[in-house]
Amino acid sequence: MIGLSIIFFSAIIILFTGIHKPEKKSKNLTVFSLLVGALFSLCENLEVINTHTLFAWVPSSMLDFNNFRLSMVALVLFLSAIIIGLMPSSEKKGSDLLGLTLFALCGGIIMLGSNHLVMLFLGIEILSIPLYVLAGSDKKNLFANEAAIKYFLMGAFSTAIFLLGCAFIYGGTGTLIFSEMQLKVGFAAHFGEFPILIKLGVILMSVGMLFKISAVPFHFWSPDVYEGSPNRVTSFMAIIVKICGFIAFAQLMSSFEPMHSWYIKWLIPISGITILLGNIAGMVQKSVKRTLAYSSIAHAGYLILFLFIPYAENAQILFVYSLSYGLSTSVMFYLIDKYSTVNNFDFTIFKGIFNSNKLDAMALILAVLSLAGIPATIGFTAKYILFSKAFEYNQWAVVIGLVGSAISIVYYFKPFKYAFVNENLLINRESSLFTNILLVLAMLSIVIFGLIPGIII
Amino acid sequence: MEIILCPLVIALLKALLGNKINKWIMSILSIATLGLVIKVYFEQVVALNNGVWQTVFDKPWFSDSIRFTLGFDGVTYLLLLLTSILTPIVISSVSDNRHKFIIPLILVMQSALNGVFMAKDGLMFYIFWELALIPIYFITLLYSHKDAYITTIRFFIFTFLGSLAMLASLIYLYLKTGSTSFSYEALINVQLSLKEAILVGGGFLLAFAVKIPLVPFHIWQADTYTNAPAQGSMMLSGIMLKMALYGLIRWYMPLCGESISYFQPAIMVMAVFGVVYGAIIALKQNDMKRLIAYSSLSHVGLITAGIFSLTLSGFEGGMLQMFTHGINVVGLFFVIEIIEYHYKSRDLTQLGGLAKHHKLFTILYFVIVLGSLAAPLTNGFPGELMLLKSIFDYNSLIGIFAGLTIIFCAVYMLRMFQLSMLGESEIVMNQIDTVKLMPLFIIGAIVLYIGLNPQSLIDVIHPSIQHIMEDIANSKGVLS
Repeated sequence: MIGLSIIFFSAIIILFTGIHKPEKKSKNLTVFSLLVGALFSLCENLEVINTHTLFAWVPSSMLDFNNFRLSMVALVLFLSAIIIGLMPSSEKKGSDLLGLTLFALCGGIIMLGSNHLVMLFLGIEILSIPLYVLAGSDKKNLFANEAAIKYFLMGAFSTAIFLLGCAFIYGGTGTLIFSEMQLKVGFAAHFGEFPILIKLGVILMSVGMLFKISAVPFHFWSPDVYEGSPNRVTSFMAIIVKICGFIAFAQLMSSFEPMHSWYIKWLIPISGITILLGNIAGMVQKSVKRTLAYSSIAHAGYLILFLFIPYAENAQILFVYSLSYGLSTSVMFYLIDKYSTVNNFDFTIFKGIFNSNKLDAMALILAVLSLAGIPATIGFTAKYILFSKAFEYNQWAVVIGLVGSAISIVYYFKPFKYAFVNENLLINRESSLFTNILLVLAMLSIVIFGLIPGIII
Repeated sequence: MEIILCPLVIALLKALLGNKINKWIMSILSIATLGLVIKVYFEQVVALNNGVWQTVFDKPWFSDSIRFTLGFDGVTYLLLLLTSILTPIVISSVSDNRHKFIIPLILVMQSALNGVFMAKDGLMFYIFWELALIPIYFITLLYSHKDAYITTIRFFIFTFLGSLAMLASLIYLYLKTGSTSFSYEALINVQLSLKEAILVGGGFLLAFAVKIPLVPFHIWQADTYTNAPAQGSMMLSGIMLKMALYGLIRWYMPLCGESISYFQPAIMVMAVFGVVYGAIIALKQNDMKRLIAYSSLSHVGLITAGIFSLTLSGFEGGMLQMFTHGINVVGLFFVIEIIEYHYKSRDLTQLGGLAKHHKLFTILYFVIVLGSLAAPLTNGFPGELMLLKSIFDYNSLIGIFAGLTIIFCAVYMLRMFQLSMLGESEIVMNQIDTVKLMPLFIIGAIVLYIGLNPQSLIDVIHPSIQHIMEDIANSKGVLS
């Protein structure tokens, strides 16, 4: 809760004080407030500080942060700090973009903490509306415009479908509060058959959420939007939106846990197809950004595997998986941003990176290995605990996941084809010391959590 | 633990100091690991005679159920010995202009391989198994031709797919242990139905068959060996293949013994087919590296067949031959590296007449060739004899086919020697440095020593092998 307030107020401050200042001047403040927010959430989680009296006026049936949610808030804020800290900020644009990013983050935090369908819906909207603007913030770039309009239309449709689902659920259960919904559904389970209203509602809400995390068959928008948007926004969408969206989805589904065996029936094929299609389509892409878009689709498929596990058991795994995915993807996007130009996202941008910049080359190697789930990186830790847990509930889905991981090697390792070529880089930008420190921090976490996973499990 | 850490420390040293230390110093430094292995051997010598897989290190890792446990027994000792003897030799063969990255990678790989051989925890075994793959991938990627990318990625995906199948099997067994523990003892006690055993065992076998490689899974092998730098080929064929054979003996057979009798005929046929097929293709090769690749396919097929005959002599001959094949194949690649470095070619049609230029080199080369073709009094002979005997016991027809390897191997090895060393010289050449032959000299000495005294190695592994065979027999009842 305190994280939410910190982010909200710093967003207001940055938006209003920085509207005429170039982005660069507000960047440090943004990163600082994000890290402070993460730190406070962590303290709240460990009960170093007590905020119960301060936020007693918030009804806990609307918004409530338990331990798992607080650790997720801390994680999301930390990842945003890394994303914003790593990405260079422009001299020309105002700092309103950073303010908008923080507002979007507020939406994400509300999604994480929601106990009520209305709060969840509000969270989704607060997250999405700034992102529609951000996706098109590169006004002169036609692709960015296309991305913005596509993202807006798709997002609007998906929230509309989600709302329809909410209406059905209200019709079926007579409540919008998660815990009461769970009671009602559990009650219905005793009679054997679930009302059609609830079933329809669950399906429609799932469609809305699957749109947000870009799972097949609702993934068509994501490669185009990811490719067109500015790199920082893409990185934000691929990481923060996906993590917040999925955790909100998992919490929502947990209130329908009595119907577990029913919704698993159609989630298994969705997960399998998402993993396979994401990975297979990723193989043939020419642009790095598009490849990562398909990689994030595949990861959405892995995430859906979490829904097979009863909610009470998967909190820790979700945390580790999100951390792993977030760290490696943000490092990848940083490297893409550093070495690409506006219209060149080929894999050849990495040509000669090993020759000219050893630190970035190491970061590239670690990020790729971690995304591919090779041991000694956090990516393996995450994939291992996910697969071994999901294996108890559905073996064949995990086998598909393993096959998908093997296929994914083809495109994840593509940068290596060029990285060690003995040539000079196409573009060589210098990074600031601060960026390099953050990068080393991210690399260290990838390796350390991979070698000694005992600390976070 | 120190056996795994020592190569890493040396690798770090090299990575930090860069060009300041040359390969000879690195090579001598890496002998330290050999010293550590022998030290642990003398510490554990009593336990070794019982044949128990002694735990030498144990700490919680992921959690209490997944631990960092290292074991040590005769089989482990033999393979650690092989690894730590070969690594200095491989390092000393690195040519001067490329040693900066390849030496740390080789050492990291050594550390991972030591981990594989010592791992006493299922997940740890898998992690080290995968880790060994990363350095060899980068070795082949960094130092092969530009258009060889497709071979390296194919090699990686093949082996990765196999290992993922193994991971699935391990996780299945893990969930089957009531205590949810990955420890070797817990996994060994899992009782499987035949259907489960076939699926789980299939996962293991897929991982091992790709790496050994057995015949339908061998298509990555020749290209990777040819394109990789000599050091990569040495590590791959000398040590990495042994990982899979070791996995068969230590992990697959005791863990899913129920499925052995189901897979046995198919594996026997595949392995012996590989023996003949590899040998026949090797007869026609002109590229020396390709020739060794196919001969390796043939030799390793023989070892697999021997192991799957499930007899004591098969296991012991297999272990012995693993050691021997590692020594010999590294020696051969070393010879090829020297020839290629000095004569800029490894094509048998262009070479010839080298014997006149360096007598010592010729003698050493010939000793290693004799070792590979299993001439009596060299190291290849006892192991191959034991393997052939056990295969013959299993099925005399298959035994006859496997026995063809002796003839074929003599033909292609001697042909290689003849075409490269004898005859008239057409190439202008510079003299070979005698210092460079030191490692070859060591290899030659080992070849002759084991040839004259194979019992010394068999004594080391005998109690452990018996213990493993008891494990297989006890928990599954397949051996009578």
